[in-house]
Order: sequence, then structure tokens, then C-alpha cells
Amino acid sequence: MFTSIAELVSMAEERGSSISEVAIDEEVRRSHQTREHIWARMAKNLQVMQAAVARGSQGDGVFSKTGLSGGQAALLEHYRKTRTSLSGDAILQAVEAAMATNEVNAAMGIICATPTAGSSGTLPGVLTVLKNRLGLDDDGLIRCLFTAGAFGLVTANKAMISGATGGCQAEVGSASGMAAAAAVEGAGGDPDACAQAFAIAMSNLLGLVCDPVAGLVEVPCVNRNAIGTANALIAADIALSGGVSRIPPDEVIAAMKSIGESMPSSLRETGIGGLAGTPTGKRFRRTVFGK
Amino acid sequence: MDKYKSVFDIIGPIMIGPSSSHTAGAVAIGRVGHILAGGVPSRADIHYYDSFARTHSGHGTDYAIISGLLGFAPDDPRVPDAIGIARRQGMELTFHEEDEPSPIDHPNTAVLDLQGPAGRVIYAACSIGGGTIEVRRINLDGCLITPPGLLPILLVELDESANDAGRRLERIRDLLREEGVTKQTRYEPDGPAGMAVYEFDLDNPLSAQQQKQIAGHSSRMIYID
Repeated sequence: MFTSIAELVSMAEERGSSISEVAIDEEVRRSHQTREHIWARMAKNLQVMQAAVARGSQGDGVFSKTGLSGGQAALLEHYRKTRTSLSGDAILQAVEAAMATNEVNAAMGIICATPTAGSSGTLPGVLTVLKNRLGLDDDGLIRCLFTAGAFGLVTANKAMISGATGGCQAEVGSASGMAAAAAVEGAGGDPDACAQAFAIAMSNLLGLVCDPVAGLVEVPCVNRNAIGTANALIAADIALSGGVSRIPPDEVIAAMKSIGESMPSSLRETGIGGLAGTPTGKRFRRTVFGK
Repeated sequence: MDKYKSVFDIIGPIMIGPSSSHTAGAVAIGRVGHILAGGVPSRADIHYYDSFARTHSGHGTDYAIISGLLGFAPDDPRVPDAIGIARRQGMELTFHEEDEPSPIDHPNTAVLDLQGPAGRVIYAACSIGGGTIEVRRINLDGCLITPPGLLPILLVELDESANDAGRRLERIRDLLREEGVTKQTRYEPDGPAGMAVYEFDLDNPLSAQQQKQIAGHSSRMIYID
């Protein structure tokens, strides 16, 4: 099993294969299951992601029980189809899919955690662009999920992927790095370019705290996935154009870990500090929970 | 030692929102209780620490843990209604927000005290992110077991006063050889002399066939995955 990004990239380079192929081989070896079984399991994950995107974008969208989130993906869909947007349609399609997913999550719908539920929109946002803009079919998208998973495994084992231990940088930051690497492979980039995109995307979100209003996975989580997915696409484009991260990916992960460990508990998913601690944030807590 | 072993620990689980650590991970923590208690418990006292204590109501941790105790999967549509379902089945439930630090040193900690078909069990588990959990303390009928935490964990009870106990243990070790035993610990529970509990911490999951064979060599087997 690969224990660093450097090792993951060199395994792919030595075999003359892609990162996704290394991830599939390792999964087959560890689980004693067939390649077909593993492929089908990832296909099911993709199906759940696509269903959540569709559900959150349809009609007026979905709304959480608390009323703190919902309907924004549907508003974006209407906006990008009727107006000339500032960011362009590819970015906004990704943002819409990401927000749709997190709105479904906040409304207690079915989603696929990637790597977590709070960051579950970031990767589907990027997949939407790979499908609509680059024409990837389901098999191509499933490959991208294995690539994302490989980068996520190293991040989770070397640092952390939960807001309670590392802040939002560990959730949306990790998801954005994973999604950037997946996008590069989906767009035909080589393993090293995947790693560069991962490092750039994660670097851009270092220090991000986990400050959910009323302790709910709604505000600011839905919007944070919008930025996570857009950031991933931009990092992927930088890497595909030949851009590199001056700090190697494994050192970026180490930096994320050390920042996470020095964050106060009030900014690690306790619903106490940051936006949760603002007068309005506290008022929402009282409205939702009566305390 | 890697905490996350499978690509599906990262891409997945498929789950009912809103939080992988506080909802899907909490279902997994409850599911451990279902296994340890030998089925749906009649009484469950749930103690939360740190982030779990502060945000359990917003993240649906209560119904998630109860879903696990009922044996539901993280994507079962009944997850949000689990508390009502459990109460209608007669489960006595209490939830406690503890102020002191986690007894197992993790911000997402729950300690469950259960009365179930197999007896009383108290265990401490934490949700480390993305739906993955660790079980760091298990008090099974008065015997305190302290695994490193990661699943799968296999507990095997052996009657060591029997003539063939050594041979049975060897057979079990043979069956586990391929699954990477990272740690093995022997405990002597209170109660009848000669009984021992072996804890095996494994790298890879056991197949149904392997579990059946191991059960055949032991007086009691608990497999937590």
C-alpha cells in the first residue's frame, strides 16, 4: 500500500499506468475481492452522487428542516441559464452540483461521503464538468473516483479528514485536493500533474476552520463546497498547463496536519467559534434548538 | 499503521446526511453495540464527550447511534426515525452530555452502556472522520478489553481447561494468518476458571466462511468489522 503521494506517483510511473489503476490494484490485493466487484461498488457510489446532484437541482431544490439551507442550487441553475454569469458555465455547473449535493445532505437525504458528508459536494461538482465539458462516460468518471480515493487515503492516514480534528481544511480542503487530482487524470494529465493539482488545491484552503452555525452541517458548509469545487477546477487547470506546487504534496499534507493540530477546539466542529460564534450564528442556534 | 485501509473508506459510505463522523460514524458505533450486546439492547445509556457532546443534536448523532443499535445500515431510510422505532420496541434510552475530557482522548467520543440479549456491555468508541471508527475499550461482563481501536477486531473465548485448547488456538491462528494479525492479547475474565478471551486486531476483513470456522473452534466468538 502506498503511504505517501511521492510513493503513489512513482508506483504509477514505474508501472506505466494511471493513479486510478494503482488504486484499483491495491484494493483488489487488500480485499481479496474481484476487480469487477470493486468496480461495481464504485459505480454504485457514482450513481448515488449523480442522484443527489439531480435531486438538489430539480424544481425549487431541497430544503433542510431547520430552514438554514436549501434551494440555492436551483437558483443557480435558473441564473446560469437565463443570465450571462461572471464565472462562466463550467465553473457554475460544478458549483451548482456541489451545492445541490450538500443541500440534499443537510436535508438528510442520501449522499456518498467524499471523504466526508460535510465535504460531499466538492467531488461531484468536478465530475459534472468532466462529464459535460470533456465528455467522460461513467467508466471514465469511476476511474476518477479511484484516483480521488487514492489521494484521500494518503491524506487521511498522514493527516486527518474530520473537522473535529483538523477543521474544514481537513474536509473541504482534502476533498478539493482529491477532486483536483481526479480532474487532471480525467483530462488526460499524467500522475505527477495529478499530484501537483492536489498540492495546489490543498494549499489554497490551508487554515480553513470548521465553524458550523448551530453545529449543523449547513452554514457555511454548503457554500464551502462551492469554493472547494471551483478551487479544484482552477488548481487542475494550473497543473494541466504545466504549473507546479513549489511545496511538494506530502509536505502540504504535513502542513495541513500541523495547522489542524494547532487549531483551538472552538474552531473544530464544536459550533462555538467563528461564524457559529457571531451574534447571528448564536441566534440561529437558539431558534433551532431553543438554547 | 494506517487507519484508513480501503479506497471505500474515503469514497463512501453511502449514507443519510448530514455528517459522516457524527451520523454515519455514529451508526457504525451503534452497530458495534448491536454486535457486542448480541442483538437489539433493551436498555441503552449513551454518554457523549467533546465535539459529540456539543453538536450531537444538530448532526443527528442520537438517531444515528440508535440506528446502529437496531442493526440498520448508514443508508437505511429509517435512520432519521430510529429513536421512535426503538422506543416503540421498548428500548429504554438516555443521552448524557459529559463535560469532562474524552476517556479515550478523541473529540468524537461516545461511551455506551447496554443491556442486551448477551448480557451487559460497556464500550468506548470514537468517530475519526469519513465514517471510520475506532473501538478503544470494551467491558464485556466485567472483562476489560483495550484494543488499539481500528476494526476489524475479533474476540474469541476459549475454555483453556479443555485438553484440546492449545490445538484450537493454533487452528484459529492458522485461519487468521492471511488476514494480517497486527496485535494479539489474552485476557482472563472473572467467572469460571480456565476461560480466556483472545483479542485479535486484523488488517483485513474475514469472510463469512472464515468466521464460521473460527466460531467452530471457540466457545464464543464476537467479530466486529
